[in-house]
Amino acid sequence: MSTDPENIEDLVNRRYEHGFVTDIDTESLPPGLDEDVIRAISMRKNEPEFMLEWRLQAYRQWLEMIEPEWAHVHYPPIDYNAISYFSAPKSDKDRPKSLDEVDPKLLETYDKLGIPLHERARLAGVAVDAVFDSVSVATTFKEKLSEAGVIFCSFSEAVNKHPELVKKYLGSVVPRRDNYFASLNSAVFSDGSFVYVPKGVRCPMELSTYFRINAANTGQFERTLIVADEGSYVSYLEGCTAPMRDENQLHAAVVELVAMKDAEIKYSTVQNWYPGDENGVGGIYNFVTKRGDCRGANSKISWTQVETGSAITWKYPSCILRGDNSTGEFYSVAVVNNYQQADTGTKMIHIGRNTSSTIVSKGISAGNAQNAYRGLVRVMPQANGARNHTQCDSLLIGKSCGAHTFPYMEIKNPSAKVEHEATTSKISADQLFYCRQRGISEEDAVNMIVNGFCKEVFNELPMEFAVEAQALLNVSLEGAVG
Amino acid sequence: MSRRSLPIDALDRTVAALSDDALAEARHAALAQFKKRGFPTTRNENWKYTDLSKVIELSRRSLQTSTDAERPDIDRIRELQASIDAGWLVIANGKLNRDLSTTLDEDGIEVSPLRLDSKDLRLEDPLADLNLALLKQGLSLRIAANRSTDRPIALLIVDSAGTAPVLSQVRIDIELQANAEIRFIEYHVSAGDDEHYSNAHINVIARPNARADYLRFQDRALHHSQTARLNVQLETDSEISYCGIDLGGRLTRNDLKIDILGQGASAIFDGLYIAAEGQHVDNHTRVDHRVGPAVSAQEYRGILNGHCRAIWNGKAIVHAGADGTDAQQANHNLLLSEHAEIDAKPELEIYADEVKCAHGTTVGQLDEQALFYLRSRGLDRDRAKRVLTRAFATSIVNKSPIPELHDLIGNAVEQRLRELATGVPQ
Amino acid sequence: MLEIKNLKARIGDADILNGVSLSVNAGEVHAIMGPNGSGKSTLAQVIAGHADYEVTEGTVSYNGHDLLALEPEERAREGIFLGFQYPVEIPGVNNAYLLKAAVNAKREHQGLEEIDAFEFLKLAREKMAVLGMDPKFLNRGVNEGFSGGEKKRNEILQMAMLEPSLAILDETDSGLDIDALKAVAGGVNALRDPERAIVLVTHYQRLLDYVEPDFVHVLSEGRIARSGDKSLALELEEKGYEWVREAANA
Repeated sequence: MSTDPENIEDLVNRRYEHGFVTDIDTESLPPGLDEDVIRAISMRKNEPEFMLEWRLQAYRQWLEMIEPEWAHVHYPPIDYNAISYFSAPKSDKDRPKSLDEVDPKLLETYDKLGIPLHERARLAGVAVDAVFDSVSVATTFKEKLSEAGVIFCSFSEAVNKHPELVKKYLGSVVPRRDNYFASLNSAVFSDGSFVYVPKGVRCPMELSTYFRINAANTGQFERTLIVADEGSYVSYLEGCTAPMRDENQLHAAVVELVAMKDAEIKYSTVQNWYPGDENGVGGIYNFVTKRGDCRGANSKISWTQVETGSAITWKYPSCILRGDNSTGEFYSVAVVNNYQQADTGTKMIHIGRNTSSTIVSKGISAGNAQNAYRGLVRVMPQANGARNHTQCDSLLIGKSCGAHTFPYMEIKNPSAKVEHEATTSKISADQLFYCRQRGISEEDAVNMIVNGFCKEVFNELPMEFAVEAQALLNVSLEGAVG
Repeated sequence: MSRRSLPIDALDRTVAALSDDALAEARHAALAQFKKRGFPTTRNENWKYTDLSKVIELSRRSLQTSTDAERPDIDRIRELQASIDAGWLVIANGKLNRDLSTTLDEDGIEVSPLRLDSKDLRLEDPLADLNLALLKQGLSLRIAANRSTDRPIALLIVDSAGTAPVLSQVRIDIELQANAEIRFIEYHVSAGDDEHYSNAHINVIARPNARADYLRFQDRALHHSQTARLNVQLETDSEISYCGIDLGGRLTRNDLKIDILGQGASAIFDGLYIAAEGQHVDNHTRVDHRVGPAVSAQEYRGILNGHCRAIWNGKAIVHAGADGTDAQQANHNLLLSEHAEIDAKPELEIYADEVKCAHGTTVGQLDEQALFYLRSRGLDRDRAKRVLTRAFATSIVNKSPIPELHDLIGNAVEQRLRELATGVPQ
Repeated sequence: MLEIKNLKARIGDADILNGVSLSVNAGEVHAIMGPNGSGKSTLAQVIAGHADYEVTEGTVSYNGHDLLALEPEERAREGIFLGFQYPVEIPGVNNAYLLKAAVNAKREHQGLEEIDAFEFLKLAREKMAVLGMDPKFLNRGVNEGFSGGEKKRNEILQMAMLEPSLAILDETDSGLDIDALKAVAGGVNALRDPERAIVLVTHYQRLLDYVEPDFVHVLSEGRIARSGDKSLALELEEKGYEWVREAANA
């Protein structure tokens, strides 16, 4: 009989299906980082003076900072001078105006990744701003968005076309010297997405960006800024898959969200960077700073993430609940296998009155992997009527993995109600036997049970993303019937 | 001199003045380590929310004046001793007071000067260094195999300083041999309103199938600060049932560390802290499940009013291979003032899969439905609140392990809650 | 259909089955009775292939094949259904999903197309109506927060959907009130068929008032101590299990 743990472990030992390398020449800067490199990045992107100055200040601050060591992760020291801080596909100079102009090899890459760009865009009504390495190469549905007054473009474009908006909001949520990796990003960020939704506008479609890393030794420093003005709504989807590589690659992105009065931002992520091989060789270091500012009253920011990839994940999408009655949400599934390490969670900072936050974290650990939830709920003295509920569940598959929870609660207001619950469990032999007695294979049974464990989070994802997320866990679709 | 250390010459002088006994070598080794590390600072994750600078300042003044403390208030102690039927060990200002202690010459209880083996000298906690370096007198208790008694042993830690600030160290090692049972009370009081900093360090080793009921009750004066560490090692099928109650003190920091070394061991530990104006109470617990099956369960409750701060940090570590572990943590807090702060952190680190681990933490107010229920039965709102607040606290008192002290502690808790409600200082 | 010969099985160091022989043919309803600890549930679990039980001796053949060589899911797909005494909760996995996956696993095994979603729903609702179950049931997590009666009805619903050749119902009657018992018995009777065998494992005679067995076996200390027709169940009810044990030892 094969319900023993070894076999269960086999089931989660699936090979990374998206591992291949596309052979495209890239025009990269040589490895290394100094002020000249930053000037070169800024120059290539034709940035205005204020942007260069901002980058340089960030760089100078970064030089004085030390790399954080508090996370429950271990990795050899990173040589920041061995990283190349800029690379772009050769076709950079004449950017394609439509998909027809896009390098066919690139399109083929997307196909291999299971992202049929044009088809998906047309069928799902999604505008796709695909970032290949560091530069945007295709943007669709722009017209429809501009009719609604929504600005959705690459960050580089925004810097040139909407400098006043960039100036006003860049660094207003994640300051230049917020943390070591955010500072580094501020100095060298390559590109990313910019979204501005004007007052009262409900963005007519889900906005989506696919990131990947495809050049050896190329750090990825994405910068995303989303501003939802008063009474607006936007749902933004971010998804990642990365080709198989042996060298570790650093990814230090920064995402800033600003929600004004009555505005709502929904930010969903499926992260599937290359996790390294079965022996823990290679894989992406995903050190990301994501933060949302509920700046106005009644605003809402909701983070949903499905983290399956990366050798190391260091990521705490957070909400600053500044506006009265504002709401923050964090729904997370983090899956680690082999030698992956994840230290992820959220911060909910309650400042305004009657603010509320919800945290649902589902961690799944298998193989020799380590999975940590780290979260902070802080209720400031003036935050009357603050509410938080945190549910933090861990599922262990196998004997050599770890599941950890480090929740911080700092409560300085007597009207606050804060509740935190956490559980740890494994897939029970009884559950497996029950499913198998109904004729379901062990593999499907494990998928089914894991999927059930994550259901609360998957329910928060937009439909097409939920499908992808479940596929990522190699789980059959649930809830299609009934 | 760094902010977190003490003047070296005064330290040297103080240590040199202690008697040249069997501990001398250990003291010097500990002193050397303490000089290197000093007190922990808030940059240390374990001390993130507790700043020792006032304690350091007091220690500094104490070392520089180094007057011998006055005798404690004997009448008050005798009164307390009369109210609790126990064998008494009284430690006043860090020294065993033979007049006030009762002889524990019952069969199977051996009290002797502290014996240290070499592994005691590798200390991970700088406060343990300080403790050993400045220790005037330590005690070892050995409870012989198979011995059990109904009559508890009460350790009374009483501090009184007279006019100058005093720094005192307490160190007790307790070994329960196989199948032994002990009921133990650790009772902290102040005999005076003077400034004092007490640093206590107690180690318990429970050999196979031994059992300890352990009640710690702290009702110090508001000018007293203390740091206390209790290390417990549980061997096969041994058990500890612990409850720690903190009502007084300006700064209180408790470190409770439980090591589960044997299968079938069980650690139940609960706590209650009540803090009002100017108080700071920090409970750090850590349980290491090194083997399984074994059980640990903790519930801490806190009530806070006025400018005060409480910290609860509960950590359960399930080591690789500790299958069959059941570790439960709960922490509930009532925050009654806009000036009060609670920092809670329930941590789990799990490296085994056959485990049942859960924690729950809440911060909030009294249950509105329960309040309504009581009011519908005719109680006014204030009365109903008092009833529920008391019930919130007494649920811990009532499960504390020395039942004959429930009344005494319940009364002290009630008294403290009345002071807390009316804002009258202790 | 099912031929058990001298079956011995243990869990850990405890021998539970000490030589059970039993023959079940298509169209028959067998009741296996016996006191607590006599090995009834163990027999059911061994037939279903639970890994905790080790078969130390004997054979089980099913339609002429060695049943013991098959994985639990293969046995299920070959038409063996076990109604569990304590159905496990699987949080987050909804009933409809599990049911559909189970039906399709069997159909695939039989070389049939996957069942159409619409057809599946229609069929499930029909069966639920027969069992007096609320259709909302389908969207709830598998056994999650179900009452004892709901869990047992859910087992019967699964059986009805999977249309097994051999259904083994382990204490399906325990903990049921009279209405639930009737509903469950109705579900079982609806499945009586010349092509199908049903084995009822039960402690009490009560269920047998509603589902009339062709054969009754009494298990005692891991062996079949007595076999007979339905009158044996009545006799047992009257004289108690001690009577069987004494008779067996005599």
